[in-house]
Amino acid sequence: MEHEHERQEIVYEYIWIVMVIAIVTGFAASIAYYGFALDLNPVCNATPIDVGAAKTEFKAGVENLGGGVYKVRILAGQFFWIPNKIVLENPKRVEFEITSQDVVHGFHVVGTSVNVMVIPGYVAQFTWYPPNDAEGTYLIVCTEYCGVGHDLMKATLEIKRTGAALEPAGGYLTDFGEYSEITYTSLEG
Amino acid sequence: MSGVKGLTPQEALFSRVTIAFSFVILALGGLFGLLQALNRVPYFNLPEALQVSRETYYTILTCHGVCLAVAIPIFWITGFTVYMSPKILGRNLNKNALYLSLVMMLVGAVMATITILTGKARVLYTFYAPMKAHPAFYLGAALLILGSWVIAFAFFKQYIDWKRANPGKGTPIAVYGLLTTFIVWIEATIPIVITVLKDFIPMSLFGKHVDVLETRTWFWFFGHALVYFWLLPVVTMWYYAIPKRLGVPLFSESMAKVAFILFIIASTPVGLHHQFTDPGLAAGYKYIHTVITLIVATPSMLTAFNILATMERGGRARGGRGLLGWLWVQPWKDPLYAGLVVTLIVFGIGGITGIINASYQLNIVVHNTTWIVGHFHMTVATIVAVGYAATTYALLRDLYGRKLISRVAALSHSYLWLIGILVFSFAYYIAGLDGVPRRTYDLEYGGLAPDSWIGPLQTSAVGSIILFASGVLGVYAILGSLLLGKTRGYDIAGLNPGNPHDPPAAFNPILENLRLWVIVAAILIIVAYILPFYEMFSRGLSPVPPVEV
Repeated sequence: MEHEHERQEIVYEYIWIVMVIAIVTGFAASIAYYGFALDLNPVCNATPIDVGAAKTEFKAGVENLGGGVYKVRILAGQFFWIPNKIVLENPKRVEFEITSQDVVHGFHVVGTSVNVMVIPGYVAQFTWYPPNDAEGTYLIVCTEYCGVGHDLMKATLEIKRTGAALEPAGGYLTDFGEYSEITYTSLEG
Repeated sequence: MSGVKGLTPQEALFSRVTIAFSFVILALGGLFGLLQALNRVPYFNLPEALQVSRETYYTILTCHGVCLAVAIPIFWITGFTVYMSPKILGRNLNKNALYLSLVMMLVGAVMATITILTGKARVLYTFYAPMKAHPAFYLGAALLILGSWVIAFAFFKQYIDWKRANPGKGTPIAVYGLLTTFIVWIEATIPIVITVLKDFIPMSLFGKHVDVLETRTWFWFFGHALVYFWLLPVVTMWYYAIPKRLGVPLFSESMAKVAFILFIIASTPVGLHHQFTDPGLAAGYKYIHTVITLIVATPSMLTAFNILATMERGGRARGGRGLLGWLWVQPWKDPLYAGLVVTLIVFGIGGITGIINASYQLNIVVHNTTWIVGHFHMTVATIVAVGYAATTYALLRDLYGRKLISRVAALSHSYLWLIGILVFSFAYYIAGLDGVPRRTYDLEYGGLAPDSWIGPLQTSAVGSIILFASGVLGVYAILGSLLLGKTRGYDIAGLNPGNPHDPPAAFNPILENLRLWVIVAAILIIVAYILPFYEMFSRGLSPVPPVEV
């Protein structure tokens, strides 16, 4: 009787182990699917830059390439963002390049999926597809302690919607932008 | 003070000093924690006496992190190990190693703390390059860590000697857990020692230019294994003390050892999960670290099952019936037991949020927000503030010859913490999902911050006040007992390690072969880190000059 009871307990333990393996494998598989099949990854690309050149040669600013495509180059430093006011009109694709002229900063557009470390000596490069319902003024904060004025670093990103661009929001993965093959290829082409 | 049975006078001195000292630091770090939590709340009329300046805020934030996350665990864990292992193994530690370690650790800790409090190391506990602190900060930290290595190697030698003298005997679970703790500690600290000696001290002394991405990678190579060092002694206590208190055998000792082995293997090659949003590290490498992070979650899940099953077994033996009846008959009024179960519950919730952090797409949403702060206060802070304290209650009589001055204070310490941490961390989780950054003095951003931030942050202030009250009770129960508990107070049951009536550990060759598992761990660590380092070095480093902060 006692023996029978103990065997029953061990069965529970094995069931739990199988469940644990299934849970963990499921998580790993779904992360891989999103990461490698749908190409939804955190920022990974960077090119080295001489930190002295960042101060003088890195041309920070917003460039409108037309068709809703923007290039936004940002320089971070103690304790500022250049530019500190970014205005985008009907943006479909925003190509960011960000670097720091001194210490580590963090660039987070609050309320969006733009969240990246800014590392001196490297230019971070990534593309953001703003969701169709993104509109209004977003706060940009520094997310990494960079010195006593850390909390003074602030900037804004304003998205203006005009005319025909006001399409209904929808689709899945809104947080990562309206990521669809159609938009992507048509822009590339 | 009279001697302690089974310990040499040097061992007793070492344990007494390190454990008592860790609670002095806890008081300091806890006070700073309250001040930070209150000062950063937006639109909150804080009494002037509690307001701190921007400079002071980042100074005490540095001190809060370094004291609570580095100094306390090192002191408490070395002290606890020096108390436990001689009693269980029946062998003593080298006398000179104890003196050497104690002096190194105390000098290092005092050096680092003074440097921080005089405002010469306002770099936070992560001290990311190229922010530069006074050299005494790095030297102090290095001394503290190297001092703990002395104990680690003395302990390994003690264990190897014991093993030689006792072939075919299984390692007692408490020693097994503490060995795991120190193996993980050595794995963790090798990279930080490398980068502090190679990069940080030359940067601070001679202005050496360093590559920031590289030093960050070295730091997090250390940084995540560090959390398992904090945690593992309390896991050990779950496995060791919970069945002992309930008077039943552990549900599965072999599964406990499997969990410890998984911690040895997988707790270090996961550091990139702190760098998911770092540019310059390829997605594939980040994914490898994600998978290993998920693997290192499995021993926690095995532990949860094993301990809950043991609790059920103990509760039924005590007459609990029905589906949940075993829960009500647990020894909830035992300060040690209450503290251990509180850490188990809170760590469970915190651990689940850790899985979210590890899922690297979701990490983008929460990276460097207060979500992370909520997460590590449920895991690490709870382990330190409740787990270490609860264990110390059970050491008072044997180690210090003291009674527990107030059972109510000791119990309410744990239960109040449970309430406080739920309020504090859930407020921070909600705020973090809304984008509130961590490590920030002023969260109003000149009126630009969303209004939705205000509610959760004000709630977190309430939580932090409850946590502080809990901490005051805990520190009072421990330091008060040490000062006043000679004659008055309660005699609570001790741990009684090395009791000859304890059931002997089973011998399973594969589980006892720790050397094999250390080799497996080393291979996995090298594979997981050689790839990102190759990426960085082959691209060419980009060193930058140091910056004063």
